[in-house]
Order: sequence, then C-alpha cells, then structure tokens
Amino acid sequence: MSVYLLGITSAGGLPVFSRKKGNCESLSFSKLGSLNGVHMFGKPLNIELSNTVTDDYAVAWKEFNNSLVIIGIASGCSVDVLNRLLKLVYDAVVLIVGIEEAKSQRNIERLKRELRVCYPVLDRLLDSLDCGDSTNKHSSDIVGYVETILCPENYLIQIVLDSFTECVDSMFSCILVNGKIAVATESWWSLHPHEIRLLLLLAVTENKDISKDIPVFLPYKSPTVAFRFVACSLISDIKVCCLCGSTPSLLDVEQAATQCFKNSTDILKSASHCVPRNFPQSITLDCGVLGLLLINIRLKKYMMSKNPQQTTSRKTSTSSHRLDILRTFFYQAVMNTLILNTQTWQDNNLHQDEKTDKTALDKDNDGIETYWCSEYHKCHAVKVNHNILCVLYNSTTPTQAMRFFSKNILNMLICDKQVCW
Amino acid sequence: MIAGFSYDSKAKHDRNIKIGDWLKTINNMEVNVHNLDDILQKFINHNEVLLTLQRVAATEVTKEPPINTLNLESAFVQDLLNPKIDPDSPVVLQKLCGYPVGLIYINTDKLDENNKANEDLIYYFPKSVQKNLLCQSRGMFITLHHLLHDITATFSRVSSLMYKEKLVHVVYTKLQNHLLLFMLPDERASVKEVVLMNNQVLSYLDFTYQRIHDALTLKRHIEQIDSFLFRYFARVICNTDWATTEQFMEYQFDQITSNNASVCLFEDLMPVVPTLKLPDEAVTQVDEALSELEASDYREWNEDPLDCQRLFTILGSALFHSGYLLHSHLMDCDLVNIYNFCKFQGIIHLSRTEPVKSLVLWKEVFLSNSTETSNNSQSEERKYLLAIGNGKDLLVAIMEAGGATEPPEDNMGPDAFYVEEVQATLAHIQELGLNIVAERILTSNGGYAIANPMPQINKKKDWKGMGSLGFTKTNLPQNSSKECTSGTKKNEVISILKRRNSEQNVLNEEPYEAYSEGSESQCYSEALSEISDESSSRNPNLRYDSNDEDSDFDDYREGSQISGSSYDLSEVRQLLLSDLGEYQPVQLTSGRQNVLYHFVQFETAEGILVCPLECHLQSNTYDLILNNFRRCCQNIHEIFENTQRFKKLPAKDIAKSLMNKSLIAITEYGMLFECPFIEKDARKAKITYWVIGKLFYEPYPRELFVCYQDGIPQNLADLAFKIGLNCSL
Repeated sequence: MSVYLLGITSAGGLPVFSRKKGNCESLSFSKLGSLNGVHMFGKPLNIELSNTVTDDYAVAWKEFNNSLVIIGIASGCSVDVLNRLLKLVYDAVVLIVGIEEAKSQRNIERLKRELRVCYPVLDRLLDSLDCGDSTNKHSSDIVGYVETILCPENYLIQIVLDSFTECVDSMFSCILVNGKIAVATESWWSLHPHEIRLLLLLAVTENKDISKDIPVFLPYKSPTVAFRFVACSLISDIKVCCLCGSTPSLLDVEQAATQCFKNSTDILKSASHCVPRNFPQSITLDCGVLGLLLINIRLKKYMMSKNPQQTTSRKTSTSSHRLDILRTFFYQAVMNTLILNTQTWQDNNLHQDEKTDKTALDKDNDGIETYWCSEYHKCHAVKVNHNILCVLYNSTTPTQAMRFFSKNILNMLICDKQVCW
Repeated sequence: MIAGFSYDSKAKHDRNIKIGDWLKTINNMEVNVHNLDDILQKFINHNEVLLTLQRVAATEVTKEPPINTLNLESAFVQDLLNPKIDPDSPVVLQKLCGYPVGLIYINTDKLDENNKANEDLIYYFPKSVQKNLLCQSRGMFITLHHLLHDITATFSRVSSLMYKEKLVHVVYTKLQNHLLLFMLPDERASVKEVVLMNNQVLSYLDFTYQRIHDALTLKRHIEQIDSFLFRYFARVICNTDWATTEQFMEYQFDQITSNNASVCLFEDLMPVVPTLKLPDEAVTQVDEALSELEASDYREWNEDPLDCQRLFTILGSALFHSGYLLHSHLMDCDLVNIYNFCKFQGIIHLSRTEPVKSLVLWKEVFLSNSTETSNNSQSEERKYLLAIGNGKDLLVAIMEAGGATEPPEDNMGPDAFYVEEVQATLAHIQELGLNIVAERILTSNGGYAIANPMPQINKKKDWKGMGSLGFTKTNLPQNSSKECTSGTKKNEVISILKRRNSEQNVLNEEPYEAYSEGSESQCYSEALSEISDESSSRNPNLRYDSNDEDSDFDDYREGSQISGSSYDLSEVRQLLLSDLGEYQPVQLTSGRQNVLYHFVQFETAEGILVCPLECHLQSNTYDLILNNFRRCCQNIHEIFENTQRFKKLPAKDIAKSLMNKSLIAITEYGMLFECPFIEKDARKAKITYWVIGKLFYEPYPRELFVCYQDGIPQNLADLAFKIGLNCSL
C-alpha cells in the first residue's frame, strides 16, 4: 500500500506540504514538479486535468480557489474516495490558516510552518482510504463522515454536557470516547461534517497534554474569523471539546469541566467500556454477524463495530480485516447507490459530493438495499429513511435471510433511546 | 445487338453507343452470329477497334436501365457506398474538431528536442494538428504516462479532464515504444464505457490490419482508417446506431447539453456477440448446413475428379440473422472480431434495418491467435473473411489460403466458386425457412417473456397483439425508411396465417397469391425498391428483376452440392415452421406472474451474449429501469473483474499485489432500487426492482445479470439455472 499527498501553490509551483504513507520512496523534487506541471500544462488549452487511473493506483488533482493544487496518489482505492479526501485535506488547511491565508499565500515559509500543526491530522486522514491493507490501525475511518459511539450511558452524559455547555458559554461542545463522539449539542451537529471530523482529529492527534487550546477557522461556518477549540481530558480516553470565542480562558474551561463532570465519573468509566463494541451489550446479535456499520446520511455520522459477539473465538487479526471489508463495501457499493446526492447533509452544501459524470445515478432511481456475496463473507446494506445499516455476515448466512436480519438489527439500534443516535 | 455495357466501361460513359444498336462490322470485318467469337479472338490484344453500328433504338438508353431509376436506396446505404459529402472536406473537419473526440498515435522515441515539430505524431484524427485537442495537449499525456510509471510502476489506463466545462476521458494504450490515445466526452461515454470502446476500436484495427502499429503507420491503410474513424466518431457523437455524413453535419451538439447524456451502454460494449436462440431442430439444420460448407467435399458434385489443389480451406463459419448470431462454428475471439468488424462496417446495422438482395464482402483479416506466428516470420497462411448477405441473413466464413491449400498470393481476390458455395449454403438455409423461424422468435423478444413494469399487479403484455396492423396498411407504398415498422408488420402477417398457408408458401413459391388482394399491391410496391423488402428473404425464388447476378444465383443453386442431398427440403421446412406455429416466448421465472424485466448473460468462453433481443416496450419507466440496470451492470462487472483478475494472479504475487483484499472473491452482487412509475396515470406509484449480477465458474466462466421486480418471493438461483439450461447449445 502506498499513498502520497502533495500540496503545491498554483502560482509558483512551490510545495507547501508533502505527506506519504506505506512503504514507498519519497517523491523527488523533479517528480513533484512534473506532477504539478502536467496539471498546469493544460490550463492555456482550457484543460483541467482531474484524475488518472492506472492498473492499481488512482491519481487525482484538485485546485482550490486558484491558489492551491492538492494532488493525491493512492493504491487500491477509487478516484471517487480520493477526490473526497482531497476536499477534506483542503478544509484541514483552511482550518489551521484560514481562507485568506490559504488563498493569498503572502508568505510561503510561514504557511508551511503553520501547516505543520495539521500534519498529524493529514496523516490520519490518509488512513481513511481503503487500500485493502489490514495493517491499518484506523480501519474505521470513513472519509467525509464522523464516527460516533453508542454508549448506553449517552442519555445521562447528554444532560451533564448541556450543563457544561451553559457554564462555558458556548453552544458547540461534545464528549469524545476514544476519539468517537458519544454525545454533542445540537449546534455541534449543525457544523459541517468535515469541520466536525477535523476538530475530532485535532483533539485526538495533536499532542499528549491533558488540555489543548488551538485557534481554528471553520472552513464552512467561519473561514475568516478564528475560534478557539478547547479539548480537556476527563478520564483516560474520554474528552470534552468545545468551540469558544476569546473567553473563557482555558483555565476556566478546565474548571467548569471538573465542576460538571466530577459527579459523573462512574458513568464515564462505564461508557469507556463500550469500546471496541461501540454499541450497548444489551443488544444481542446473531453469531453470523461479523461487523456492523450504522450510518445517518443526513448528519453524515456513523458507528462501526467489529466482532460484536465477544464470545466467538476468532483471532483479532481477522476481526480488524472485517472493518476493512465493511468500509470497502461502503465505498464501493453503498456510497454511490444508496446515498443520493440530494439527501446529504444540509441545504447549503447539498452538492458538495455530487457526482455529475455519466456513472452517477439519476435522481429517479433510489437505492434501498444492496449486497455482496464473496467466497469468504457476505455484506448487506439496507436503507430506512436517513439511516443505512451495513452488516458483514459470515459466508454461511443464506442470502435471502440477510434482508430480514439487517432490518431487525437496524430497528433495534435506532429504537434505543439511551444511545442518542 | 448491344444488350448492355460492362460495368464502368468507356463506351457507357461516352454515350455514343446505345443499347439496342446492331453491331455491323469490327475493323471493317462483317460480324454475324457465327463468326463473332472468331473475330473477337483476333482483337484480344488490340487497344483500339473501329465499330460500325446500325442505330435502331430511338431513345436514349445508355443512362441507366429503367429499373435503376426506381432505385430506392436509403440514405444510409448511399452513404455507406458513396457518401455525398466527402468526410475529408474542411466543413466536416471543422465540425468534428468542435467535439472533444479523437485518436492519436505517438512515437515516444521521437520526443527529442532535435526532432522536428510534430515528428512524434504518427497518426492523428481528426486531421488537423492545430485543432485536434489531443495533438495539442499530447505532451501532457505523454509526460503523465511516463511519470506515473516511474512513481507507481503501473501504466496509466485512463485520464479524466475538464475541457470547456465538459468532462472528457482519454484512454492510454501502450504499444512498445508507442502510445495511443483515444478521447471521448463523458456525455457519450463514461469512464467505464470509454475503456471498453477503446478496446473495441483497437481489436477492430488488429483484426483488419494485423497490427495496430501497421494500421496506423502504413500509408496504404490511412485513407481507410480515416473514414472508419470518421464513421465511428460521427456515430458516437450523434448518439445513434449509425450516422451518415449528412446526419452528422445536421447534428447539433449543443442541444445535448440541455438534453442530458446518452443512455448507458453495457451489452453492446462487451466482447460478446448477441445471440438468438433457435429451437433445437433449427439449430441442427443450421449446424448441418454449415458443416457441409466447411467440409468442402465436392466429390459428388464434380463428376470429373479435380486434379488441382484447393485455393482455400474454410476454417469456420457463422450465421447471423438481422445482426444476431444464430449459430457459429468459430472460435470465440474470431467470432467476436468478425461481429465487431461487421458492426463497424455498418453491415450489422444494414441487416437490422433493411434487407439486401445480395451482399458480398471479401477482406483479408488477421485472426488473433495467428498474429503471433505471423509476427515471427512471414507466415504462409493467409486468412480471408467472406461475408454473404441476402435479405436479413448474413453468412460469414473464414477462408484460409496456404497451409493445406495452394500457396497464397498477394491480394487474393474472392474465388467465384467459393462465393457461390457460400451463397448456396445461405440459400439452402433460407429454403429451410430458418430465416422465418428466426424472425418470428425475434419479434417475440428473442424468445423470452419480459414483464412490463407496472406499479402494482403486473399484467403480462400480450406480445402477439402488439402493434397488430391490418392488411389495409400494407397498401401504403413502402420506402426504406419504413423498414423497421414493416418488419413487425410482416410478422403479423405470418402469425395471422394458419399453418396451412405457410405450407403453401413452400409449395406455391408464390406466397402472395395466397394472401388477400391487399398484399398483391404490397408486392407491387416492393418491386419498386431494389433493395428488397424482407419478403425477398423469405421467398428467395421471388424475382423482380433479372440482372446477371440474380440469374447466376439461381444457376448455382440448382447445381450446388446441397440441393443434391437426398432428403426433401420442403418436408424439413414444414417441420420447422409447424413446430413454431404457436410459438410462445419462454417465461423464465417460475411464479404465476412474470417479474423479469431484463437479463444479460455473457458466455465469455463462447463469446456470445444471451438476452431478450429487440424488445422495445413503450414505457418510459422501463427505459428508466433499463438505463439504471446497465449502469449498475457496469459497476458489478467491474467488481467481478477484480475477482477474475485475482484468480489469474500467480500465488507468489498475491502478497505483492496492491489489490484491495476485500474485493478479491465477490461472486454475487445485488442492488434493490425504487423508482417512480412515470407513466401518466399513476405518478405516485413506485416500482421496486432488483439488479443482480452473478459470476459463475462452473462449468465454464459466465456472468449473468438480471433485473426483476421485487415483492414476489423467488429463488434467484432457480431463475439463473433455468437460463443456464436454455442456453446450453
């Protein structure tokens, strides 16, 4: 597996950032220049190169605001997924430096230095490509979507979070369990999925301090004015995050957090036991079910779970591969058939992911279900309103029965009021 | 007396000599019936002779024989034979360059700065370096191809780019140190389609000119390839089955931007030949006829043993009706190549739309399996394609010269004897009534019952009753533009007739006598068109005009080996047709109601495609479903390709492979869709339907795609298996 990610200024062709993943050589400066060159070459001819597919790789170019060209090269994944990633990468740049700086690039060296902050975020974003590599630690990352966790305690935590939000005088806050959102305020969910995703990554990747306070621009909500993103650890693996203006100070936020959550540590602790199952123990599943992926296509959030049946004596190595299968199934079979362009997220960004080429589905045909049968496993996805459930079954499950199993599981999950789906 | 002129003779054009003149003397030697031959013998080597003629006829008859003035060649045929507008003219070029289409062939060794400008360009189409987008931007693609190989160690397949706000795809094909680029806009071909289209064009070039490299470098081929590519792109741009030069010039691309993209293609782009399944008895008959042709056993036919060696061996043959394969004795790849060739030459479209009286095509071809050997040394064998058409039937044969036969010469022409043999075989098959059988099956969807999408309870469409036009309509004079409708009309006629009548057809050889008055006038109107109507294919003995070709045709029919065989043809014919008397399309699903909308089966091992043919339901909903079906099939097929690619991968490379491990063993892929019923009555009603693809390995690799209505409990395996049984040849 190998992935390259490059950011190059449109005007000068200077590299701003360059990331890679997997066992591959770094790109030489001349190759980097050529990659940008082929894109630039077309401009006087009215040509804008968008992507190229080779036998195993996908390569995509995307120019943002006539100022920054982002190039991605990845093995094993589709152009569509790569394109979505590039958009997210640009949003990450804007998140750190703001839209003005990203556009004008007055001082390239300063821009480069500022962007170092988001290198861990960028590296983590590369994990969301489905390269079909089981060594990936973050197989549950899905590009453009926000990961959540369905703890049975979510309902209780929500109450505490609301009081915390009042204390810090911010509308945007959430609780993270193991980097996944357990609960969040309504306003938090009104943020663009890309913004939420990037803030989450910032909270978990930046450094090992207990608390952090980072100035961020919100690429969609506020690309020119910076907010402060504050994240405090409550207990290990559980963080509270909020967006606020110049006040309150970090110290005040930390105090408010201790104040609000000191009586709920037991709840938080039991919530942290939900990992890696990610949904309540009370919901039992057939042992033929190897993995779950529950998606809300309106809010673009999802819950992914492997090996829900803890009793099965399967090796852990195969169970991490399960998430890969589910994710690939989602990218290849679900993302462009079950999720119509018009149904995604909020009105102002309706067409962000819209595919306009001939392979895109027409509006009239609405996908409801889809499935795969492989020699080793079976995947099935069903859509009910805004929710999609993808289930990974073992290969002995009868194909016809999958429909009924999946619908049942979906019902069980979304009817549970405790988990605040 | 002057009876006529040899084709293209000088005398014909000078118009001094007229038909009906009496020939009196040649070089002052008096000519009469007895000495004509002797005198002509003397003049064999003379270039100029003096003729004395006595004028009898008063009218000007040199022009064209009267029958030809009634020539109702369709615009399509005219364009195919001699286009009115020259495709090379600047107007056409101008128009063509307005579209992002093209094909260029580049020598990547000649990119040095020392080389002259454009020296690397070996071939390009459209023919203008300045206006050809690919020529202008080729540097980008060459660099990219090279660069990505450096970085990823894999070769580029296809690039997508925006050109003037339109998405355009460019496919790469690397041939040693050359690079071939093929470009089409996304409106006409999606990424997946353009790759398949590129493959089709390249295999055509391979088949016709031995190697793509030769085709695009040798001067003698250039003109042919230009016109081939022009036709190809014109057809793609106009988004029709076939576009004449005029149609292309009239075509407005801009309408399309508001008009949306063309429909998705799937079956048409796969390397398979659409096949019409005949009943077993019919297949046996065709099989026998083809085998007899291929055996080339002329002992019975020739009373004196021939002591010369044969000119050709027949390697294999295949029979098409209306552009659909009936039976084949060819290797899968050859069959696909021949079909491809016929399609690009317009022959398939011709036999689908208008029946021909006689078609003879002779072309040296290069079979894919022999290409390698002929690369190494100047191979002895040469292969020729002989295609013989009559009515809607087309019989193709691959002839081999060299090998077992006399050593081949360059530029071998068709030998009249073999042409006649193939024509005789075709005539024999038509005499058996197989074309009627085929036509009848064709009008019932190629033999499979298909459901019309209905919101709730599905009513099965009454196929026999559809479009039943009475005899009254047949009185209308027909022209070739009506061929399509007349095709179905004729079949109504046949199906209305009882068995007794179809038997009479054989016995009387004057079938129209048996019809009502109306059909007589129909007969008349047909006689006007030289490109005869379908009836001619059904009644091979019906003659409207007696020019030389036709009478030849009759002669050898009598003399051919096949007529000499012992059994009575009319009996066989009777048997075949009577079996078909109440022909019902097969319902593949097992429920009480038919829920099957469409299916496609690829038998890659045989190179054939089985699906309901020519079913055009008058339903927008059906079109919507079908379009989505094809699009989904492209996706499913792509997933299956991963599976097949992985199977072929040697075990040692598996670890190194960059393939997504989750995609390596998928054999079934299904999708459930919901779409509104867009017929006028019930707008709110919804239809839910499945699109399912299955990949089989046993007994041989097959891909099956079905589209059926959801809601009725049904075991797909049953359905698939039933088709599988039906299709085993």
